[in-house]
Amino acid sequence: MSAADTSSPSSRLFEADRLFGIVLVAATALLLVVFVLVPLWAILKNSFVTPEGIGLGNFIRYFTDARFLGIVGNTFEVGISVSLTTLVLAYGYAYAIQRTCMPLRPVLRIVALLPVFSPSLVQALGLQFLLGRNGLINRTFGTEIDIYGFWGIYIADVVYAFPHAFLILSAALAVADARLYESAESLGAGPWRIFRTVTLPGTRYGLASAAFVVFTIVITDFGNPVVIGGNYSVLAVEIYNQVSGQANFAMGAVIGVLLLLPAALAVTGEKWIARRQFASLTSQSVPLKPQPSAGRDTAWFVYSLIVAACILSLVAIVIYASFVRLWPYNLSLSLRHYQFDVQNGIEPLWTSIKVAIVTALLSVVFVTGAAYANHAYPNRASRFLYFLAILPAAVPGMVLGLGYILAFNTPGQPVYWIYDTILIIAFCNLYHYHAQGFLLATTNIKQISTTFDEASSTLGATRVKTVWRIILPMIWPTVLGVGVFYFMRAMVTLSAVIFLITPSTQLAAVSVLYLDDRGALNQAAAFAVCIMATVVAFLLVAQLVLRLAGVRGVSLVR
Amino acid sequence: MFLSLKGVTKRFGEVVAVDHVDLDLSEGEFVCFLGPSGCGKTTLLRLVAGLETLDEGEIRLEGHDLAALPARMRNFGVVFQSYSLFPNMTVARNVAYGLECRKWDRSRISERVAEMLDVVHLGKDAGKHPHELSGGMQQRVALARALAPEPSVLLLDEPLSALDAKVRESLRGEIRELQQRLGITTIMVTHDQDEAMEMADRIVVMNGGRIEQVGTAEDLYWSPQTRFVGEFIGRLNILDTPALRAGIDTPSDGAVLAIRPEHVALSESGALEGTVQRVAFLGNTMRLGVETGGQDVEIEVHGRRRRLQVGDTVRYDFPADRVCRLAATPA
Repeated sequence: MSAADTSSPSSRLFEADRLFGIVLVAATALLLVVFVLVPLWAILKNSFVTPEGIGLGNFIRYFTDARFLGIVGNTFEVGISVSLTTLVLAYGYAYAIQRTCMPLRPVLRIVALLPVFSPSLVQALGLQFLLGRNGLINRTFGTEIDIYGFWGIYIADVVYAFPHAFLILSAALAVADARLYESAESLGAGPWRIFRTVTLPGTRYGLASAAFVVFTIVITDFGNPVVIGGNYSVLAVEIYNQVSGQANFAMGAVIGVLLLLPAALAVTGEKWIARRQFASLTSQSVPLKPQPSAGRDTAWFVYSLIVAACILSLVAIVIYASFVRLWPYNLSLSLRHYQFDVQNGIEPLWTSIKVAIVTALLSVVFVTGAAYANHAYPNRASRFLYFLAILPAAVPGMVLGLGYILAFNTPGQPVYWIYDTILIIAFCNLYHYHAQGFLLATTNIKQISTTFDEASSTLGATRVKTVWRIILPMIWPTVLGVGVFYFMRAMVTLSAVIFLITPSTQLAAVSVLYLDDRGALNQAAAFAVCIMATVVAFLLVAQLVLRLAGVRGVSLVR
Repeated sequence: MFLSLKGVTKRFGEVVAVDHVDLDLSEGEFVCFLGPSGCGKTTLLRLVAGLETLDEGEIRLEGHDLAALPARMRNFGVVFQSYSLFPNMTVARNVAYGLECRKWDRSRISERVAEMLDVVHLGKDAGKHPHELSGGMQQRVALARALAPEPSVLLLDEPLSALDAKVRESLRGEIRELQQRLGITTIMVTHDQDEAMEMADRIVVMNGGRIEQVGTAEDLYWSPQTRFVGEFIGRLNILDTPALRAGIDTPSDGAVLAIRPEHVALSESGALEGTVQRVAFLGNTMRLGVETGGQDVEIEVHGRRRRLQVGDTVRYDFPADRVCRLAATPA
């Protein structure tokens, strides 16, 4: 196929369309190399830097230290146990919503997604209020439950990972071929046999995909373990302690590499599975419509209410705690925690909003640009581009953030000037979540028939004109969706940016962490509520824009 | 020659989609590329349009080589099979699009748009969006859009195959009439032989990336040169058994003898005799399957009153001037 490329005369090299393509692909590739490959390389390089020169010393030291080995064990313990629990719970929940006729399904769906609207440490914060030493349960019942440690992380991360698993499983359960179910039934299969032989196999790819995604999210999560982990340390917290606590960048880099490996494996597994997912439904399939069944619907409704109550309780108690005078001693309501008279005051929230807006704007240009470049110019270069574009899925936020300091915090570096500005944070967010945004845009661009491109060019339009007049007007809801996705992530992310903030660029999610660390739990809660409120408000505005423009079928929460 | 193709070749990996095609079109001619799916006809059209790049050969328009010209600079109007109207624009904006790309004056654009929409009888639908129109109307807008910038060649890629049979019939006539009125050189790709025979001045029958035969509908029907053309256009009996070839010179060059079902003459005094195996009554015609000497011969009879029954014996002849010699087609 490349024969066509090489045989075309060189005079066409500077023809407008070719030039546009070359510039688009080159610019996208350059940005990806600078903001993904270079930081990763910096991590890898630094992990081999020892006082005695380049060598394996750091790794040897690491793997001969029993404490470090314990941390690796802890990380996997949490990763595996949380993944299994989340999968089971989320599968049931998604099944209840997609396959039964129980009431309140739209509401329950939104409740399941709530944890996405807040930084990952908010679940742990809520858990502190609920089950901590001075928590609601211990105070009310006089019990002495100690939630700090494994169980704290376990519960907080199950709630944190729940919406991610739910979204994937819900999509997997949403499509089904009614003919299969009718055949099974007419052959005399009971409900349990149908579930085992039809439903479960039909969603096995979704299950595997969700398992990998949840595992990656959990082992790389920083917010919940740092708040509620106590002495039970995991890799993500350890990397923070090494770098921020002891300025031990080499050791941070070693842990970064260790964290990169399982995440990379999980992501590779997920992509491998996602690729064989498609053929399961054909155009002749008859969509399955759940039929009402009182007993089954009631059972699932009760189950869903219990799960939803658990998720809601963690959010609700944070909101409640933000309004009480002094948790747990004085429970009279007050707005004093919203005055933010400590630290930088409310400033970090504004910084966060600014960062989120900048991230969203950058994503609209660069992520959509990357998706279009990859789609419109299929050749070897763009296959490499595709690889770079989805590579960040395998890079934990902490690792990317550390890579950014290691790579860019050197005077004389071409991009040193973005250090200590909100731009470095915005770029870090942009590339941290690049894979998701890119795939979102790509899926949509692919659905647009190439005939539009061709019709436009035979009518005399240049590529630029085609993009501007035809492609963008068709994909703008998705472009908006990408922007909203990035805004939300930028508002709540903690892991990637924890290393990049400076006193002048402190972020709201980090403020919650600092306030919590300091014991100012009520103020931490108030700050968290502000973040959630901002995200929800932004989401509502975006939804309103879509509604007013008459666009349907674009889901903004991912 | 107005448009001339020489040695045009296109490969997709190992597959040769278009294999050394030579073809000349004169100005104002309507040519159809006809063939089964996968024969390379659409690829050939896309090569002419500039939507694919040539691997070998050249395409010239009035003597100028088009190789260096990308699609948008060729000034060819293209109509695609379906869904090629920009859904975000009104009908009028769609038609104006090519003119805007050519930087026409605003007033000239609106004049031309109105004119083109009148030509396709959609003047009153100018403000509608494509999804508000039927398939046939959409394709007429696509035609107006392609013709508005006064292209030197009109290229139609299976423009009717996504439409209902009724709409297809009426559009055939409409497109042909419009093409003749404007005198625009036109290439249409189709897999429907009726469509090709009704509309085209000349038909290019393609198979396996090569041209099998070029000619008018009559040429192809009365004197197909290859077995493929004969079988693709109309129906054909290949005379395999010696019994059937009695009295006809058997070609020695590997060619086959064939006759169309409607050319077989039933008569009491016919030289050949067979047993009726199948009878299909199709109104004004009757199609018989007759077995003679171990071979099935299809015979079409027009206007016969008495219905033949399965098992009847019939006698028939192969009129010598109706038997054609066809080159065996390379697989």
